[in-house]
Amino acid sequence: MNKTLQQTQQHIVILEASKIISEGLYGVLFHSEINCKIDYCDTLDDFFELFETKAPHILIANSMQFLNREKEVKKIRKIHPNILIVGMDCMHMPKTNGLFDASFSLYDPEEQIIQTISKLFEKQPFAHQTKTDDESLSEREIEVLTGIVNGFSNKEIAESLNISVHTVVTHRKNITAKTGIRSQSGLTIYAISKEIISIDDFS
Amino acid sequence: MYYHSKYRINSEMKMIHLLEENHLLLLMLQHFEIDFRVGDLTIAQLCREYDISENLFIGITNLYSGVRVANNTSFSKKDLLRVINFLKNSHTYYRSDKYPQIRNFVFQLKQNHPDKELKLLEQFFDEYFAEVLEHLNYEDTIAFPYFIALLENKENTAASTNYSSDEYSEHHTDIELKLKDLKNLLLKHLKISDDWMLRRQLLFALYELEYDLYIHSLIEETILIPAGIGIENE
Repeated sequence: MNKTLQQTQQHIVILEASKIISEGLYGVLFHSEINCKIDYCDTLDDFFELFETKAPHILIANSMQFLNREKEVKKIRKIHPNILIVGMDCMHMPKTNGLFDASFSLYDPEEQIIQTISKLFEKQPFAHQTKTDDESLSEREIEVLTGIVNGFSNKEIAESLNISVHTVVTHRKNITAKTGIRSQSGLTIYAISKEIISIDDFS
Repeated sequence: MYYHSKYRINSEMKMIHLLEENHLLLLMLQHFEIDFRVGDLTIAQLCREYDISENLFIGITNLYSGVRVANNTSFSKKDLLRVINFLKNSHTYYRSDKYPQIRNFVFQLKQNHPDKELKLLEQFFDEYFAEVLEHLNYEDTIAFPYFIALLENKENTAASTNYSSDEYSEHHTDIELKLKDLKNLLLKHLKISDDWMLRRQLLFALYELEYDLYIHSLIEETILIPAGIGIENE
């Protein structure tokens, strides 16, 4: 299986009014190797309301939901150019005029459904970005970290490194994301254990 | 990491079966002051014996099993007083039981390993523990007495004090944060050789504490604060 599939978490929204169907699909996805977070919505209107600002990677919709609403579907694609839309049919129907990037039937075997969805990831523009789990800090981050553990404020760090405060904040966020440590005292222990700074400064 | 029940809890279930599913419910029993010797009692029988409403008991059991309390659930004033008592008991568990135990493990670790980082880790923990104690004291002396007065219908409690549920929810600091730091230092960064037993005991204790703290804040956020705001608006 494509490695990016397992590493990058995919956000999938299931657009389906039947609880039985959406829960069933959830079960199929949950037991697959696709690393995903799943949300539901009942209607296209709900979808617009819930995901207007934050688009999922994939929308799996009962194709009936799009009946006579081609305009709205185009609108989704306009707002979220990278979104992938998968149609879910109650029976085998001819693909609906390019509304969907892929489709499957409720009666397809599980593996086939997973495969249909998995194939889509290869098309994704961001699927090829190698998201590294590498947690080693960049040189700049180490400079910012040194400032933090020495008790300097964001402003002071920004001035000494000749960067904006905003950039310092971004570095701080990345440092926390990489190390899993948030507090200044925790970061101090981290910095010492990685020999970024020496203990003599803190005796 | 939190338990997810595979079924909806109802009052005819036997407590002992729920414990088989999630032994961390023992923490809940202790905070409710329910004896661990639950025998074959069902939730309904247990609630009757300890004078707790089933609604409340099931609500909190659900929280411990990863199911949130529905927004429209309403609790009686008696329930809410019971909730405050529950929260106070969990403070005792933090203050005199779990944190001291963790403190002891960290101290042992420092004794066993001369590395400088572990001395700092102990210092980190002590500072953190002091912050936690301060927060618990604040809740015990300011927040809880306010809610009790509010619930006991003391006229004008809301009007006569400057305090409010809203302020409480703001003051409601995140003491889980440094706990995560501690866990991550042990799991990701600090190199400590061997000492398996001690390190495992320490990590188990941290996970247990994190779990209970998480439920603790859920109880405050989803039960106590909404109820307080409701009464203030009456």
